[in-house]
This record gives sequence, structure tokens and C-alpha cells, in this order.
Amino acid sequence: MIHDNFIKRSAIFTVLIIVLLASLVVGVSIGAVSIPPSEVVGILFSHIPGFDRYWAAGLSPEHETIIMTMRFPRVILTALVGAGLALSGATFQGLFRNPMADPYVIGVSSGAALGAVVCIMVQSVWNIPIHYGIPGAAFIFAVMTILLVYNLARVGGRVPVMTLLLAGIAVSSLLSALVSLCMFFSGDQLHQVVFWLMGGFSGRGWDDVYMFIPYGVIGSTLIFIYSRELNAMLLGEEPAQHLGVEVERVKRRLLIAAALLTGACVSVSGLIGFVGLVIPHLVRMLFGPDHRILLPAVALFGAAFLVIADVLARVIIAPGELPVGIVTALVGGPFFIYLLRRQKNAMF
Amino acid sequence: MLLNVLGVTCGYGTSIVLKDASVQINSGDFVGIVGPNGSGKSTLIRTISRVLQPLYGKVLIKGEDIYRLPAAEVAKEMAVVTQERGLDFPFTVRDVVMMGRLPHIKRFARESAKDLEAVARALALTDTILLADRQINELSGGEKQRVMLARALAQEPKILLLDEPTSYLDLNYQIETMELLVRLRRDYGLTIVMVLHDLNLASRYCDYLLVVKQGAIYAIGSPHQVITTDIIKKVYGCEVRVECPNSIERPYIVFNDEQISVVRKGNERWVHVVGGGGSGVLLFRNLLKSGWKVSTGVVNVGDSDWQEACRLGLSIVEAPPFCNVGTNEVRQNKEMMQKAQYIIMAGIPFGIGNVQNLACVLEQAEKGNPVIVIDNIDIGDRDYTGGKATELYGNLLKSGVRTVKSEWEAIHLMEGDEEKWHPEVS
Repeated sequence: MIHDNFIKRSAIFTVLIIVLLASLVVGVSIGAVSIPPSEVVGILFSHIPGFDRYWAAGLSPEHETIIMTMRFPRVILTALVGAGLALSGATFQGLFRNPMADPYVIGVSSGAALGAVVCIMVQSVWNIPIHYGIPGAAFIFAVMTILLVYNLARVGGRVPVMTLLLAGIAVSSLLSALVSLCMFFSGDQLHQVVFWLMGGFSGRGWDDVYMFIPYGVIGSTLIFIYSRELNAMLLGEEPAQHLGVEVERVKRRLLIAAALLTGACVSVSGLIGFVGLVIPHLVRMLFGPDHRILLPAVALFGAAFLVIADVLARVIIAPGELPVGIVTALVGGPFFIYLLRRQKNAMF
Repeated sequence: MLLNVLGVTCGYGTSIVLKDASVQINSGDFVGIVGPNGSGKSTLIRTISRVLQPLYGKVLIKGEDIYRLPAAEVAKEMAVVTQERGLDFPFTVRDVVMMGRLPHIKRFARESAKDLEAVARALALTDTILLADRQINELSGGEKQRVMLARALAQEPKILLLDEPTSYLDLNYQIETMELLVRLRRDYGLTIVMVLHDLNLASRYCDYLLVVKQGAIYAIGSPHQVITTDIIKKVYGCEVRVECPNSIERPYIVFNDEQISVVRKGNERWVHVVGGGGSGVLLFRNLLKSGWKVSTGVVNVGDSDWQEACRLGLSIVEAPPFCNVGTNEVRQNKEMMQKAQYIIMAGIPFGIGNVQNLACVLEQAEKGNPVIVIDNIDIGDRDYTGGKATELYGNLLKSGVRTVKSEWEAIHLMEGDEEKWHPEVS
């Protein structure tokens, strides 16, 4: 019984990892200059100490530059953001026991958007060339929003999830109104603001990857640590408490972890919808609700999905580029509706 | 002392729900918490189960404050079964029961043979083995409830707290669950504290009961001490009958099937019923409801008519069990018959013991007092005196009494022509 499960799980994860690796290679090879996948693999391996001597021969230096400075960091960042959004979406859904929850449910997105918009406007007013200030500003505003919502929802040392959801919605609409207000007065910068809000990975590089990694590591580690507590909390907070889970502590840590993760994602890529809402549902339909399996599967699935969506965003109107948020919704939406219709029983 | 609740006061926000509650529970106790809706029973369970921290007071488990112990430590000692509503996720029953092992399994560790054993045992005890591979969200309410019990048992606790665990269960599983708890207490020394709505189940199975009323513990004691008409009237505000055949059996509650409020219509109307052996039961109630004052006699103590008469608070002339009706009782009986406006003679069997009653009725009839005889069974079939009763009965019928065929007819007769038929009443 357990043996069967173990084999099944191993097979599932092997498949997911292969799919992710394949999508990464495809993501790197496709673009304005098409580079064959075999060469992509060669160039990547040539940068790994110990493998370089087998692969160094016959590689084009131009291709190597394109891959290592542009495409590879971009694809890595895309995968990280896909994993991060899907992971925090799954966490929020489990924590709130609510299928409507997504990474933006407690207002992180609006906070980050306001940060980015304010940053863009400040740059234009004072003419300061701080293009790379946007991720920083978005992240700071996102974290401040989480703290605000969390403290608004706190009632006598506890944070009831319903209050948290409502506080999130209230703060979110307030911040959205402020974003709209800024956009109304933004004038020439409107295009830049709108483009950022739609989300995408155009022009992202290693700096963004480095900025993402610490929060990504902290956030996802915490979430993985508490995966079995998340299972217990699906039964309800009191039953989880009865099973020895320190519910308030776990909830606080998971909230912070998921929000940090979301904040990091939003600050480097803008608002990419759909991934965080739908990927967890999709994986839950396939593998069941056990977070010990669900969470790693969701991360791998989210990463592969967003990398493929980003490839599509680059090829559909090549040499132009669509915002990836549009692609995720266009591709994923119908597929999700199909699954929803096929699945007769409740999926959550 | 396993569990010690010391002066606990709790509430939600500013409203106090439970005031200064103290209970001591020893290892192996089977304790029931009863009380009306909203009295604070569940709040007490929530406080004991380390969910609702008290504003004042402490809950000690083996002498240690549970709110200072880590949750996992408490979960190894104590498991809780509540009325589950959540359970909408497609976990298998086995997965859910395995969650009971959560406090025992170290983080990132695999389930050990001991864990699998505990789960198998819990499934077997709760009769849920056949459900093990089904999804919890597809089970019925009663099945879910048993799975919750299995999960609690998988925790291998010393204390089991249950909040109305039988409310989703059918009669069979209610009793089975209670029997299972009794067995767990006996075989594993489990201490059981449960909130119960059903006072009869509580009385039947618990060693002692905590009666909670308006946020305070109103009484603690054995079922015999606590399940009384008086306490139930004071706590629940309703009238019930408590029956307890003897001091070994547990008391149980019977609902009063109808509220008898005596209506007095002007002058007091008094009817004396000569009955016995259950023949008077229907008469008593309906006469009272029609506003009659009712007396009866002579009946033996312990007779079913005597019990009913006692419940209804009638005036009774009684004789000791299995004794003949003595001269003293006969005199009292005659006095009552004299005072009553009517005498009803039920269709009772006559033996040596009660043939005196028949003689009294005959005497009254001959004096001209109104007597109604319910002549529904031939006297020959109920004469155990060797002909004496038949002779007296024959005289009675000849003395100008009214005969009717049923109790109802007797009542209608009295209600209908009371004035005409009873001219000498002053």
C-alpha cells in the first residue's frame, strides 16, 4: 500500500521535473535568435564546473552571451515566479480553506502596484533615473500592506481567517483606488504603469533573480516545513489545535511566508494573474489534498506552466512581446473551465 | 488527579460565558457535562481542550498548566471529538485517522510501524475499517463522526473529550459509541469527559454528571443525585418525571405526556374513584382535566393506580402492599365517598383483599349517593372471592346506580347531567 504510493509519487515527481527541465530548455532556445536545444544544453553545462571540458567545443560565443546574460536569467526568474505564485496560492487556499483565495487575496498585489506606480511617478517628476527602484518600492509597499492587513484583522491575540479576508479585501480596494488615482494623474507615464501592472519578464536579468532568491528561499522553506500542519488545518482550526498544532503561530508564519513570496514575485514581474489561483486547483485535482505532495508538485507545475506561457508570450506576436499575464489567462482559463466541467464532484 | 479545572472564567470578547468553574477529574472517570443550550457546556470543553484560554483560572493536566505546555504535548495526553462540519476535502479516511498521529511523529519523519498499528487499532475499534480507503467528504454524517472518533483514538490519549459525539448517530450507533467508550475506559483506563444532550444516555453511562446552568456549574454528582425532577425543573425549566426502579439501575427521564392544569369551575367538584390495577389511570387524568377534584381508595401501595395517583397528587386512601383492606382504611374510604359528589366504580377484579371496596360502594349506593358503575367486563370473569363479589355486585346494580360501558361514558355522564341528576348536593 505505502509502497505503491511511494512508487506512484516518485513517478509523478520524476515526470514533473522532466517537464520543467524541458520547458526551461525550450524557453532558452526560443526567441528572436533561435538556438537549437542541443546547443542550449551544451552552453548551460559548459558553465557547470566539472562538465565544462566535455561541452566547451563548438559553441558559438554570440549564442553563449545571449543565453547567459538574457535568456537564461529570464527563464530562471520566470520559473521561480511561477513556483512562488503557485506555492503561495496553494498556501492561502489551504490556510483560508477557501477555493477563491489566491496569492493576492490579502492585498499584496495592490500594495506592490501602488509601490511601483508611486516609484514610476516619482522618477518622472524629479527626473531621477532609478528604473531599478521599481522592484524595491513594490516589495516595500507589499510588505507594509501585509503588516497593515494583519494588524487590522487581529482580535485579542488571534487572527480569524474571515476577518483577515475581509481586511484584505477592504485594504485592497482602498489601495486599488489610490493606484487608479495615480494613473489618472500619471500623464506620459500611463503606458509604463499599465504595462507594469499587466506583468511580464521583458528585460529581466540576474539582478532580479538575486533580489528574488532570499525571499523565495525563506518563504518556500517555511511553507514546506508546515505542510503537515496545513493538512491538519484543512480540518478546521480547532481540530488542528486538538491535534497539537500551534494554530496561531503556524498561521502567522505561513501568512508571512506566503506574503513575502508573493511580494517578491510581484516586485520582479508585476501582476501575473491566474497562476496562483488555478495551478493549486489543478494539482489538487490530480494528486489530492495532501500538502506534503501538493506543495512540491504545485511549485514544479507552476514553474513549468509560467515558463511555457512566457515562451508563448514571446512567439505569438514575434518580434513583439505580449504581457505574460494575458497569456496565462488565455491559455489556462479555458483549460481550467474544461477540467471544472469534467470533474463532477466538488474539487476543493 | 489527572485533570484539574481551577476557578475557570472564560468568555468571548467582553461577554463572560463561563464563571468560576472548578472540576476535578481523576484517571478513569467517565464524566458527563449536561445543561441547556447556551449554558456554557461547549465553552467548558473548549477551555479544557486548550482552545479557549480562560480569562481567570487554570486548567491543569497532571499538575501542569495546559496553556503553558506545547500544544503537541497536550495532544499526546488529550484527544477531542467535536461535531465536525469541515471535512469537505477528499482525504481518505485512513489519511484523516493518520492525522491523529501528528503529535507523535517527528517533523519530516515517516510513519513508523507503531503509528500504522495505532491507526489500524483505531479503525478496528470504531468499526471503520471498511471505510478506510473511501474519501471522507463522501461519507454520511454518522460515518464522519465515527472517523473523528477513530482519529482521536489514534492519538492514543489518556483523556478523551467529546462534544455531543452522538448527535449525528442513529440509535444503534449512539448506544454502540457509548458502549465503546465504556470498553475503552475499562480496557485502556481512558478518562472520558463528554458533553451530552441526552440526559438518559448521560445518566446511563456516566459515573458522575456536571450540570451547567447559565455559565456556572450548578451541580456535580452521581446520576442518582443529579437527575431529579427538582434539578431538571430548576435547570431546564420543564417538568419531567424521573423514574428509577431501584438504587442499582440509573434514573431515567420520562417526559410528562401532557400538562394537566386543574381548572376549577365555581364550586369544587369531587369525584371518588374506586379502582386498582391500572383501571383508574385514564379516569384520573381526564377527570382532572375536566376540573374535578379526584380521590381514590382503597388502593395498595405500589399498585399502578397508586403510582399514577401519587404523580397526579390525588387524595389517596392506601393499604400496605398485598394486605387486605383494613377497618381503618374502610372508614377513611367511606368519609371520602361521603364528601364526593360522585363515586365511580371501575371494572376491576375483586379478591379477598379489595372486596371491602365493593361493600363500601354498595353501602353508599343504598344511602342514595350517586354511583356510576363501569360495567365493561362480566362480573363472573373477575370474581375471585368465590361468589361473594358477584352477590354484592348484583345488589349494587339493583340499588339504582347508573351503569356505563366505558370510562369515557362515565365522564360524559357526569359532565352532561350533573345538575339534574344530583339534586341533594348543597
